Amino acid sequence: MRAEPAVSTTSARTKFRAQYWAKYGAVLRTQLQNSFAYPLDLLARSMMILLFMWVFVNLWRVTYSAMGSGEIAGLTLANTMWYLLMAEAVMLSKRDLSKDISDQVKDGSVAYLLNKPFNFILYHFAAGLGDSLLVFVTNALLGGALVWWLVGPPPGWLGWAAAMVAALLALLLDFCFSALIGLAAFVAEEVSAFRWIYQKFLLVLGGLLIPLDFFPEWLQNFSRALPFAWIVYGPARLFVDPSAERLADVLLHQLGWLGATGVCVALLYRWVVGQLTINGG
Amino acid sequence: MSVIHVDGLHKTFQTKRKAAGFGGSLRALWKPDLQTVEAVREISFQMEQGELLGFIGPNGAGKSTTIKILTGILHPTSGTASVLGFVPWQERQKLAYQIGTVFGQRPQLWYHLPAVDTFYLFGKIYEMEERKLRQRIGFLSEAFEIEHLLETPVRKLSLGQRMRCEVAASLLHKPRLLLLDEPSIGLDVVAKQRIRETIRHMNEAEGVGVLLTSHDAGDIEALCKRVIIINHGEIIYQDKVSALKRHYLTSKQVDVRYSHPLDPNFSIPGVQMLKVGTFGAKLQFDVRETPVERVMTALASAGSLVDVTVSDPSLEEVIRTIYES
Repeated sequence: MRAEPAVSTTSARTKFRAQYWAKYGAVLRTQLQNSFAYPLDLLARSMMILLFMWVFVNLWRVTYSAMGSGEIAGLTLANTMWYLLMAEAVMLSKRDLSKDISDQVKDGSVAYLLNKPFNFILYHFAAGLGDSLLVFVTNALLGGALVWWLVGPPPGWLGWAAAMVAALLALLLDFCFSALIGLAAFVAEEVSAFRWIYQKFLLVLGGLLIPLDFFPEWLQNFSRALPFAWIVYGPARLFVDPSAERLADVLLHQLGWLGATGVCVALLYRWVVGQLTINGG
Repeated sequence: MSVIHVDGLHKTFQTKRKAAGFGGSLRALWKPDLQTVEAVREISFQMEQGELLGFIGPNGAGKSTTIKILTGILHPTSGTASVLGFVPWQERQKLAYQIGTVFGQRPQLWYHLPAVDTFYLFGKIYEMEERKLRQRIGFLSEAFEIEHLLETPVRKLSLGQRMRCEVAASLLHKPRLLLLDEPSIGLDVVAKQRIRETIRHMNEAEGVGVLLTSHDAGDIEALCKRVIIINHGEIIYQDKVSALKRHYLTSKQVDVRYSHPLDPNFSIPGVQMLKVGTFGAKLQFDVRETPVERVMTALASAGSLVDVTVSDPSLEEVIRTIYES
């Protein structure tokens, strides 16, 4: 005979949806609280962007003056710097979910997450977003202040608004790829090599190192056909040159890849959860 | 009514073996040596509503694997199990609302935050109403004597204090079954005693069934009425704790120290003197043949006592005795 529900609230189907989703909001909030536990650590993490942007500004100043032109592939020095700021802000704030999952499988703490009444993947996304949001805001503010001082004012509000939507979807898309790598840890345990390869794809083909516009046309087309460009290049390029056409292009690519990777994450999760072996018994 | 019903549960998994050194690593790449480990072998048992059931065995016996199958985290290779009417590995999330778990070696509380923050998070996760959650936190913090600890970051708590908070967290949603995997591991004698008392209190106050694994026979003796002993994945004993004590926990070992030198020929009839030193002795006796009282009286009359420690046989000794019998 089945037992009565221990928590009376779960029995009401009407409440179920709101309460079910509220738990992920609570995870996000708790993760935010956790990030505030060490404010100095948070500040130190964000200091990285200051160093990166200072180096980039000096490197690209030399490049632009050597080219003897105010623009490269339609981007001014200021455009390039604000592009790189947005790209770095996204990349430095994203939580490495694959490492989280891999560590949890290795040390056995995954056991606690699997026996709670929530979706393991959504839990990680909520926790990751809680962590990323705060770091993203600090990165954007600190790095933005430096870039403003060095190369001039940022793009208008339209660029910010469009980039925020695209950055959120970019974090979600990155989350799906990290989840795919992390879930592989249920079977392989060690996934740092996959993680390294993924990061290098983002660096080169994603447009983190240099804007994709500076590539030869065939490499631009190749990169745009891959998902990595829509995690870094898409939001950053939209930030410096917002338009309805570009926004639609970026969002459509992001949503398309999200649909494909989301299905893969769901299928992989269903398979690996049955293959799990918990270390230490 | 049985809350756990396990029949012929079997779990095997494969582990890679690798010879020592660089050559071994290369060979493992070319031809991995996969070994099949039988973690749990065809075990069957039942647990009744509100029962305090002990599940003991040495390290690597299969206790934790069994608990993880019963919570739905691991899938068995064969056999069936039902926990509160659910098949755990098929209905893990539904079952999660009904059970509480503590894995003694791994924390579930957020390490950098005060325990109360995790309590409120768990309240949301278990979809509890705010008012009921507050009442429940108040009740549990009183029962576990953790009111003064709730607002301290978990990393600042001692292991004993943290374990009390861990067990309280697992009871927040008023589960009908509590699965405790080594809750007393690493705790000192006082902290162990407090954990045992609170578990017993919650069992009596709320009728929550408790399945407790431990490699410390003392936990079981202090808490449980019935015990299952598992070794190498097989159940080798299941009966009342009183029967186990009567049959296998019959010997006591005593370490005694005096303030003055002891007679080298010191002995007590019916007691095996394991070691006699200048200021102390180690001895062992069977309580069925020599009453504890007689031994203690003889020890006290031998001189001025400084310290006495009485211990039960280790679990390994109990298992050896079971095999021998």
